[in-house]
Amino acid sequence: MSSRRALHALAPMIGIVVFLGLWQLVVEVFDVRPFVLRSPTDIVAYLADAPGDFLRASAITALHALAGIVFALVISIALGAVLSASVTLERAAQPILSLVQVTPFAAYIPAVVLWLGADDPPVRFIATLVCIPGFTFAAVAGMRSADPASLELFDSIDASRWAVLWRLRLPSAMPSLLTAARYNTGLALIVAYLVEGSNFADRGLGAIGRRAAAYSLGDALWATIFCMALLGSIGLLAIGAIERSVLAWHASQRSVTLP
Amino acid sequence: MSAATIDLVGLAKSFGALEVVSPIDLHVEPGSFVSIVGPSGCGKSTLLRMVAGLERASGGTATVDGASPAALRRDKRLAVVPQQPGLLPWRTVEANASLLLDVDRGRNPASHPDPRELLAEVGLDEFAARHPHQLSGGMQQRVALVRGFSLGAPLVLMDEPFAALDEITRAEMRGLLARMLQRHPATVLFVTHSITEAVFLSDRVLVTSPRPATVVADVTITLARPRTDDLEDTPEFVRLCSELRHHLRRAMA
Repeated sequence: MSSRRALHALAPMIGIVVFLGLWQLVVEVFDVRPFVLRSPTDIVAYLADAPGDFLRASAITALHALAGIVFALVISIALGAVLSASVTLERAAQPILSLVQVTPFAAYIPAVVLWLGADDPPVRFIATLVCIPGFTFAAVAGMRSADPASLELFDSIDASRWAVLWRLRLPSAMPSLLTAARYNTGLALIVAYLVEGSNFADRGLGAIGRRAAAYSLGDALWATIFCMALLGSIGLLAIGAIERSVLAWHASQRSVTLP
Repeated sequence: MSAATIDLVGLAKSFGALEVVSPIDLHVEPGSFVSIVGPSGCGKSTLLRMVAGLERASGGTATVDGASPAALRRDKRLAVVPQQPGLLPWRTVEANASLLLDVDRGRNPASHPDPRELLAEVGLDEFAARHPHQLSGGMQQRVALVRGFSLGAPLVLMDEPFAALDEITRAEMRGLLARMLQRHPATVLFVTHSITEAVFLSDRVLVTSPRPATVVADVTITLARPRTDDLEDTPEFVRLCSELRHHLRRAMA
């Protein structure tokens, strides 16, 4: 039993090692040209040269993405509470949410920068904006999925709307919100990276990536991509840990948490 | 305030042209246990939900101690025990038992039983820290029973609370319910399919017809209390069951 648990804990590492191994193999066996694809060992060697710069930039990008996820989550829960209460409002909101999803954010980065100034605010703003539709759809679906028998139980003591939201609808939405968080982690990271590259500031992996692309510095560009991949993996591991503790009661987690 | 009086006057329900419950007049004495037995889909649950004010009546009135069901719900003086336990899976057994007290605490009744003690009464004190998915169906329904009694409500409405359980667990549960009511008296309206369950628990059994529901028989159960499991084999118990079965057959015909 404990060996299976150890395997569960190690599985992500094994996945990463296998992936890096295959990557290295492809580069060496097919002798891929360096500006097309660097090998992991090349990238690690480059990173080891100036680890501080990349560590700082990674932290900044991670915080940008995290801010987007947290702001979007709070906004979406409030929005979901309102929309799940009314089918009409939800239908009215659908096109707006779709619009946010399909509008290329690169197109309005300059407008947001003009509005909020350079540096962090436009990055946080756009990272928040792109995460809102996914979280809101998840919040509405999850809150609507609250057990009707439990709803009637709350009705039988004339429970306040707030009590129903806080004690029944929000917990019912946790599984779908966390699934949306898995998807939004990657989205928030890549959006933070791209906006960092075009907000006329000099902070974050995106800023390094943008400069590296402009001056054809393949090593630096691939180093930022490598850091992004690590950030994404760390984000998913963190969400997995949150799921295991917050959703221990949910069927999706039982095979993992119960002996 | 330990038990409520129920008065239904011409209480009726239709969904459009479909009449579900014919106008019903009913007076229930405080502290009595009244079962409603009838074929499935006949509108028994609708009747129960109208008494709780969870379903709007098409006609007539329901009053409990002279007040409306809505006022009763606001004062947390009405408890519902549903067919499915409806436990919140993220709450522990103890937190589920005290759920109705935890919600909008400001409206809690002045005095009510301690949910922890109620859990001990039904033999679940050891399971207080567990989650519902770690309990058997019978244990989950016992938590639902405790949750129902936690308010100390003078009126308890039960909608086939033991229907999803196996025969052995059902017999255990009805004994448990009878003992709990001795300690925590309340007026009970109890919807069931089971004639033996109704006879075992009730002071009075109403037999209803298929839709639209009308009361076709009103049988007083005079068996002495406390009632124990060996009651089932007494001639009087058997006679009452066959009488009810007879009424039910006639209602179905």
